[in-house]
Amino acid sequence: MRIVIGQGSCGIAAGAEKVRKALLNTNINAEAISITGCIGMCYLEPIVDIYDDEGKLTRLVKVSENDAEAIASFVESGDASAVEKLVVSDEDSEFLSKQTRIALRNCGIINPEKIDAYVEAGGYTALKKALCDMSAEDVIEVIKTSGLAGRGGAGFPTWFKWNAARQSEGDEKYLICNADEGDPGAFMDRAVIESDPHNLIEGMLIGAYAIGAKHAVVYVRAEYPLAIKRLKNAIKQATEKGIIGENIFGSGFSCDFTIKAGAGAFVCGEETALIESLEGHRGMPRLKPPFPAQSGFWRKPSNINNVETFANVSWIINNGGEAFAAMGTEGSKGTKVFAVTGKVKRSGLVEIPMGKTLKDVIFDIGGGMKTDKPFKAVQMGGPSGGCIPAELIDTVIDYKALGATGAIMGSGGMVVMDESTCMVGMAKFFLDFTAKESCGKCIHCRIGTKRMLEMLERITKGEGKEGDIELLEELCYSIKDGALCGLGQTAPNPVLTTIKYFRDEYEAHIKEKRCPAGECSDLIEYKIVADKCKGCTLCARNCPVNAISGTVKNPHVINTEKCIKCGKCYTSCKFGAIVKE
Amino acid sequence: MINLTINGKAVQAPEGSTILEAARSAGIYIPTLCYDKAVEIYGACGLCVVEAEGIPKLLRSCSAKCSEGMVVNTESERVVQSRKIAMELLMSAHDGDCVAPCQLNCPARTDCQGYVGLIANGEYDAALKLIKNKIALPASIGRVCPHPCEKACRRQNVEEPINIAQLKAFAADMDLKSDSYVPEVMPATGKKVAIIGGGPAGLTAAFYLTIMGHSVTVYDMMEKMGGMLRYGIPQYRLPKEVLDKEIAIIEKTGVKLVNNVKLGVDFTIESLKAENDAVIVAVGAWKSSSMRTPGEDLEGVYGGIDFLRAVIKGNAPEIGEKVAICGGGNTAMDACRTAVRLGAKEVYVVYRRTRNEMPADKLEIDEAEEEGVIYKFLTNPLSFNGEDGKVKSITLQVMELGEPDASGRRRPVPVEGKTEEIPVDSVILAIGQKLVSDDVKELELNERGNIAADQDFFTTSIEGVFAIGDATNRGASIAIEAIGEADRCAKAVDAYLNGQALDTRVPYISKRDESTIDYSDREKKSRINPKVLPADVRNKNFDEVSLGFTEEEAKAEADRCLECGCREYYKCKLLSVAQRYDINPERFKGEMPQKYSHDENAFIERNTSKCILCGLCVRSCREVMNLSSIGLLGRGFKTDVSPAFSLPLDETNCNNCGLCVQLCPTGSLTEKFNLKKQVPLDEEYTEEFVEIDGKQSSVLVSRYNGKILRVIPNDEISRNSGLSRAELQAKLK
Repeated sequence: MRIVIGQGSCGIAAGAEKVRKALLNTNINAEAISITGCIGMCYLEPIVDIYDDEGKLTRLVKVSENDAEAIASFVESGDASAVEKLVVSDEDSEFLSKQTRIALRNCGIINPEKIDAYVEAGGYTALKKALCDMSAEDVIEVIKTSGLAGRGGAGFPTWFKWNAARQSEGDEKYLICNADEGDPGAFMDRAVIESDPHNLIEGMLIGAYAIGAKHAVVYVRAEYPLAIKRLKNAIKQATEKGIIGENIFGSGFSCDFTIKAGAGAFVCGEETALIESLEGHRGMPRLKPPFPAQSGFWRKPSNINNVETFANVSWIINNGGEAFAAMGTEGSKGTKVFAVTGKVKRSGLVEIPMGKTLKDVIFDIGGGMKTDKPFKAVQMGGPSGGCIPAELIDTVIDYKALGATGAIMGSGGMVVMDESTCMVGMAKFFLDFTAKESCGKCIHCRIGTKRMLEMLERITKGEGKEGDIELLEELCYSIKDGALCGLGQTAPNPVLTTIKYFRDEYEAHIKEKRCPAGECSDLIEYKIVADKCKGCTLCARNCPVNAISGTVKNPHVINTEKCIKCGKCYTSCKFGAIVKE
Repeated sequence: MINLTINGKAVQAPEGSTILEAARSAGIYIPTLCYDKAVEIYGACGLCVVEAEGIPKLLRSCSAKCSEGMVVNTESERVVQSRKIAMELLMSAHDGDCVAPCQLNCPARTDCQGYVGLIANGEYDAALKLIKNKIALPASIGRVCPHPCEKACRRQNVEEPINIAQLKAFAADMDLKSDSYVPEVMPATGKKVAIIGGGPAGLTAAFYLTIMGHSVTVYDMMEKMGGMLRYGIPQYRLPKEVLDKEIAIIEKTGVKLVNNVKLGVDFTIESLKAENDAVIVAVGAWKSSSMRTPGEDLEGVYGGIDFLRAVIKGNAPEIGEKVAICGGGNTAMDACRTAVRLGAKEVYVVYRRTRNEMPADKLEIDEAEEEGVIYKFLTNPLSFNGEDGKVKSITLQVMELGEPDASGRRRPVPVEGKTEEIPVDSVILAIGQKLVSDDVKELELNERGNIAADQDFFTTSIEGVFAIGDATNRGASIAIEAIGEADRCAKAVDAYLNGQALDTRVPYISKRDESTIDYSDREKKSRINPKVLPADVRNKNFDEVSLGFTEEEAKAEADRCLECGCREYYKCKLLSVAQRYDINPERFKGEMPQKYSHDENAFIERNTSKCILCGLCVRSCREVMNLSSIGLLGRGFKTDVSPAFSLPLDETNCNNCGLCVQLCPTGSLTEKFNLKKQVPLDEEYTEEFVEIDGKQSSVLVSRYNGKILRVIPNDEISRNSGLSRAELQAKLK
């Protein structure tokens, strides 16, 4: 009997640690209680997996510390009725069963703090195979066959970068992992490091061997303390076992391993800015060329891939490039992890083969919309990506097909929106993010994103004017063309795609001073429909500025001059008596 | 060597060259603002982008290397659009004035801040030369100009505007008192220009065209040159001796002045055209406008300028004891004050609005009142009533102020049935003046009956004939308007004589948003006006009313200047790039990234609101000097250049080497002048050498009008010498 508690950051935030402590206080044998990382079912956290002695799994979800005794009783008696209401539904189980997991294969299953758990799951066999049985060129060839492309966003062929770094002259080379995951709503890299750190280490060591690097560096954002802690622990364990260090597996290949915590600037996810930051400078992109493969960290040949890319490598070495390439489409191979969030019913991490459709992710796996409002659009790729409208829901997950919509595959952020989301407001949200995260180096990004944001702010306040859409478009194309790095070049995407697919919404804001989604507070008024109001006084009691007046059992009235449009009345009314106009 | 094509031109470049290097060596211009050979390539400004065939992205030419057979276009539509937007964005966040508002508001773009500043420093000679770049008759204009410059002067937001016009007269008077400055004339071009009309416009055009080397003759119908300055401005405001001296200086440049010849009588435009390479028509507007009021043709009713001219010529008409002047402009003031001086006992000024709306200069209005003039505000003549054909009284309609009109002034409306009658012996109508259209019938006129001339090229319906001043387009205006046109027209004619067409429109410049300027830290200092003759003395004669500034007064007044314009205007790289592209930063108007700031030490001044974040200062301090005294602070739009921990520069390890200032492409970092009052000046830079510890070391020396303004370290030795600017200057041979 094993009791495994999901303790990724998300699980802990949902109360998993409290559950663990509560379980330790029951009569369950403490030895049987262990932890794992993140299974990816965010909406069901905290999750407790109970394996019986035959290995049969009973998964309990949305567990609280108050359920500890019931769980203890189930563990003791095997009688599931005590925990019946906690057992995951068949429907929710489909969230996982419909996925194909490679990068996430160990996540939420093994104990991320124990190297033995990883080894037991087949860990480090690929590294041994690569170091002892394959030449560096062979490794690159396998990666080439697999069709693995960079999962950080740009989708550049991994083998090509590895080969370029390998070909670059110099005996001092660096293999760098970009774990500066910064897109709002993306958390797959954090999940991998927290849940399966050795998989990352193994992938990186194979990469280091392939390019001929003796130094591996992980650049991870400081906002991921648990990831850093588990990765440090994993490095220590691997070093103790001789997997990191000199003459690994007796192969003659040596590689050290360091972690650098980044101070949380989004732009440091851009590879040249990342290198600047690693060197102790202000995180600002360098001009390319020269590319890092030629002149990177300390001006030495360097290769940078993101976490998810490395997380696929050991599987590919073990299973062969062909097995990986068998999944996906002509131009996009293997699987991709998405962080599905927003108005979707089941939010969390979804790994599926390329070639599936957005509908498969959002409806089949994600379960569709959370509310009764219809699906409107999905934002792919965070602030660098674009929105894809409902009519393109059958778009195939493939670099090219997604790019054709104006969005990008990106690192895998997928924010699902329903009809209550204002698309101008959405574009404004992402622009606000990029404008704040711009490093300030190039004109187009530093000033251009700010000016775009100001225009969007004006539009959502009802101060837009004729010609604003065209001016926005002109500025967007110019920024794409003129910005120095990927941050700036892609910053206009949310604006361009929302104009492309929801131009009428922009026009409604500008010409009619109206927000069709009813989200822009400057363009709406809350009103109470007298016929529907029961005079329950709930809205009046919730109003933070006392803008609602009325007596018990009589219709209430909102003083629109006092109202700050916070929407508390609207969400609190049980009778649908409050409307936005 | 690598062979490539840039803009269709075959170019060879050494292996490893960037496109920028290859283009520059081939004499092809590519703008840059963040590039300098002294530091590593940075790529921030993005202005150096070019297009290369077969490469989908724009390339930053500062970093992109040349490759064999490459076909580069540095001026494609896409490239220009990218640069244009970059500059529009950059300027939308550049909170600075290139030039001061006084200069911008002067129709002749006289460098008011420049000469005011030079006067404050006691550099009267340099001030006069600067004025003469734009105004050929400064002693005269300084006396009579209604000074639009002062209306724009920001000092009025503290208390009162700088007395700019009187300072100009002061500098010009100083010049007239000694060896007057006569500008050097360029070698003769052999081109002949005829100018019809010797007023401020004609004389100005003649002056500048002559300096450019052309042979110029001015034809004028009056006995003497000067036009309205002579025949329209009373002696007490502009003594004709002053005008005579200034015209004599113009004549010294070689201009031929021919008087007593009249267009249409002695010659035609065509006849002059036949004998000259170009003709400028600057005949002015010499006819008084009519009010279309019954009784205007009565004896004793005079036109304003006709009256003034008659007095000046010594033929003053009999105006009697009671005189009414109709109008509220400066001609009305000249007429009423002249009438007082002629001995009239009751002089009325009839004006349909109130004192506040009067277009005349406030000082004139006050001085006239001191001299005994009686204002009849909110009245309008209904009729001039006569006996035996001679005017005896005026019936006035009483008015009141209604809603504001298009000009923003409240419109006067009649008070129904309310009239007033005043007995008069004569009436002077000072309500405007017009061109005598018949004189210029050879040219196409506009609907107002004025010469139709292009506002930027000054061309007319006859090729090679240009027209300026009161006779053109909107008609009569103030002298400085005509002078501004004459100056620009001279350049246009010069271009025409070289077979080119010159657009004289003022290119883009950066202006601060007036509403954001804070004056709270300014100490209040009253405006100084020159002393004047007492009212009871001056109203009896035609002596000049103003006694002019004393040196002390002039210096003190000039010192009040707020120094609005940028000191680096003349060498601002940012502005020169901005002016190359047809930009409109207003499209992107929005928040400014930094507050207008001021930080200075003994040598260097910093103003981060003008900073364009090219990083040259930060990089040169780090890469060349190895000091890192300044760095970048903050992110995104709010990124700022700042010394570490935002300390004042003097508390950092800054050694005042001045390299950052030297590389700053705009006025964010400036090196102070060797002057008490800082003035934007078009200095001349030369590289010179000094000996430091037995070694030759290079310094950059800037001079203006012969005076050393700046000595800037220019190599490793001088930068690291620790010598102050004064010590470096002392070492100059």
